Amino acid sequence: MIGVMARIDHLASRGGTVWHRASALSKLILALLVLALALATRSLALLGALYALAAALALTSRLPLRLVAIAAGYPIVFSGLFLVSAWDGTWQTPARLLLRPLAASLIAVWLVGTTPYPDLFAPLSRVLPRSVGDGLFLTYRALFDIGARGERLWRAMRLRGGAGGANGRRLAQAGDGFATLVLYAFERSQRQYATMRLRGHQGRICGCRHYAELTPFDGWVALVAALVVTAACVLWRSV
Amino acid sequence: MGAVAVSHLHIPDGVLAWWVWAPGLALALLLLVLASRRAGHDEGVQVALRGALGGLVLAAMAVELPLGPVDYHLSLAGPLGVLLGAAGAFQVLFVVSAILALAGHGGFTVIGLNALVLGSGAALARPLYRALRAHRSPAVSLALAAGAAQGVSGLAWFAVVGLALRLGVAAAPARLGVLSGIALPLWVVGMLLEGAVGYGLGRFLAKVRPDLLPGTTAPRVGAA
Repeated sequence: MIGVMARIDHLASRGGTVWHRASALSKLILALLVLALALATRSLALLGALYALAAALALTSRLPLRLVAIAAGYPIVFSGLFLVSAWDGTWQTPARLLLRPLAASLIAVWLVGTTPYPDLFAPLSRVLPRSVGDGLFLTYRALFDIGARGERLWRAMRLRGGAGGANGRRLAQAGDGFATLVLYAFERSQRQYATMRLRGHQGRICGCRHYAELTPFDGWVALVAALVVTAACVLWRSV
Repeated sequence: MGAVAVSHLHIPDGVLAWWVWAPGLALALLLLVLASRRAGHDEGVQVALRGALGGLVLAAMAVELPLGPVDYHLSLAGPLGVLLGAAGAFQVLFVVSAILALAGHGGFTVIGLNALVLGSGAALARPLYRALRAHRSPAVSLALAAGAAQGVSGLAWFAVVGLALRLGVAAAPARLGVLSGIALPLWVVGMLLEGAVGYGLGRFLAKVRPDLLPGTTAPRVGAA
């Protein structure tokens, strides 16, 4: 999972498509619009249109096909229990149950795959309580550092025989490993706070305002939003 | 059968009915505001610590322990609750759930439910640890608190998924039997695993940094 997140992070920062150059705010609004419509409508035609549109967005953002396929496939796997439970003998119910999460996951992959995380978190941090907004930034940054540290730790433990022996011994070693990481996380937080203070932290990590800077490329996002609204108006009452 | 992970809802958007996820999201946001107010002028070092522990929880969740047809992910909700207290742990778990949703593990609509499910266990962990600590070693106390926290989170998970199956997607009641058959063994295994990790964590911290654990006279973390 950490590898996938690192890959998405890289793609979001380095991509050069119109979607990467559009502002985070407009993309966030479009994503929420698609998500809201997918959740609210019962029209299969509209759900199909939203899915096609989300797929087109994901594919035109030059994200690796494998990543898009994972995003498109995961709802099928994770909805299994509910699909089986809700099946009423018709094809419409499972289709509806599948198209909703498919459209939602594809639009989410498009959003996170084209928006660097500081721009994505900045608008969220403005509506969430201050400490939670700051937590988004700090947790995300800590993940890669602690993940890498954990990997090195497990590798060292395996090389030194820590992964062998009886189950009880292995569990104890794993516990010690986690405890070492907790200590590292604690010391890391002390260093990070000292750094924040040195850099002028005054009780809030200010997400940059780039997320709301509109560019000409936002016109493309607006065009897609207009298409979504039109599709919703035309197809809302259809089957 | 991916929905069966017992403590974290890997449910994509659009599967649960709105009357299942919307109240959960609203309640989680309300608790988040209350938790933030309780933290007050939350010193930056606490925010930094929560960020670091949140990163650790995410890293631990990334480790997949294969259990037959499903993978088990550690949640560390219990140790987190003991170290940070209910309010701090809930904030971390909300952030973790939000980042997991961005990574495609669970939809955006279930962020609130995920935070509540994990947070219910974490909220229990510190009071239980304190109660147990009077008669037991830190390692045993943390192990029992972590196991119990996982047990409570698992029950909350079962309640949400059961409610969703009964009401959200109009399932036949018989399906709950299938769900129970799959979830029950995972629930027990989850409690044992989280308890084992809690034991190791408590044993190590008691030796190396006992001040990080609650109930010590030395300055400790997580005043919330």
